[in-house]
Amino acid sequence: MEESQKILKLAVSIGEELLKNGGEIYRVQETIGRVLEAYGMEEYNVFVVSNGIFATVHEDRPDRGSMVRYVPLGKVHLGKVTALNQLSREICAGKYTLEEACEELARCRQMPGVRNLGKLLASGMGCGAFCYLFGGRVREALIAFGLGMLLWMFMQALARGRVSKFLVSILGSVLVTAVSFGLSALGLDIMRDKVVIGAIMLLVPGVPLTTAIRELFSGDYLSGIIHLADALITAACIAVGVGAAVKVFQVFGGMSL
Amino acid sequence: MMGQLLAAMLGTLAFGIVFDVPRREYLFCAINGGLGWLAYLLLGKCGADMALASLGSALILTLTARILSAVRRCPATVFLITGIFTLVPGAGIYYTAYYALMGDLALFTVKGLETFKVAGGITLGIVFGFALPQSWFARLGRAIHDRTAGEKE
Repeated sequence: MEESQKILKLAVSIGEELLKNGGEIYRVQETIGRVLEAYGMEEYNVFVVSNGIFATVHEDRPDRGSMVRYVPLGKVHLGKVTALNQLSREICAGKYTLEEACEELARCRQMPGVRNLGKLLASGMGCGAFCYLFGGRVREALIAFGLGMLLWMFMQALARGRVSKFLVSILGSVLVTAVSFGLSALGLDIMRDKVVIGAIMLLVPGVPLTTAIRELFSGDYLSGIIHLADALITAACIAVGVGAAVKVFQVFGGMSL
Repeated sequence: MMGQLLAAMLGTLAFGIVFDVPRREYLFCAINGGLGWLAYLLLGKCGADMALASLGSALILTLTARILSAVRRCPATVFLITGIFTLVPGAGIYYTAYYALMGDLALFTVKGLETFKVAGGITLGIVFGFALPQSWFARLGRAIHDRTAGEKE
């Protein structure tokens, strides 16, 4: 492989990893450009959208290279984004040779996340805290805590079975609503709406919404629309799930809602 | 009020863990979430409606995230994404769906429009927050880092 192609591969791989883990489009684009420049590439073109990277270097020279990567929308891992950001700063400061930078990238890729038990507890804590924040009492918050952990386990199980994430949103909100309404139907004195609102925070599309806004208003219309569609469809799926469960309780539960 | 603030910080911290924020930034994520919610509560007390309060607090969240980003040398996204969860209209989605299914069209319309207005408020807050030039924040970051470097010597 030509030297320029190795450099291109490193730069695009860093960009891919950033994009996959929740980096913004402009950050990915800038990072790829800076890494290419740091290793002496003078002439390059980089085009990044939410789920793909296209890049070429040295179009008019014999050592030309081009690369396309498909990057599906994935799980957010902000620790990796921070580490890769640091890596690109250090590359620009001339700290690494090409081989060392590749090793550093491999290290960033393998960076472990929080362990499952931690994520489980954090999911419960998030749901409980938001339930309280949105007007629940302590007892609703405690139920939302349990329900958040249940929802997280449910989502993990579905993800392992490669269920589409939209179905996960629908089924997840059905689960949350059914449990909350069920407990209330059994005679528990709770505000079931507050429990549901707390527990669906795990499904609510906060990340794609924020990303979409920033992309649309920095002129990355295509990426912004991809993320906005993601956010709106996810929100619609939650609404469908909640609605389906409520309807079932209304029709078969004989409840006065 | 204290309980509310604590809940906002805990919730933000929890989402920080879910999204694998680096451990050394946990505290700062929680502070940003707490500040955002404090702004939301105070604006509400002054009589702002949900959309306006969301706008104001999203603006505060974004600016704080950018300041923290300069101070902590860490992408602003880390603080913004975790903090914004306090404002995302999850409750709006729930009530909109609920009233749609219950056939209460009046409340469905009210809640649906309110959800979109809140989303619009968050949008404007974030956009205004990022409208300030990056060079200001970079200068702030440099000023702070130069001073701490000086103290170490």
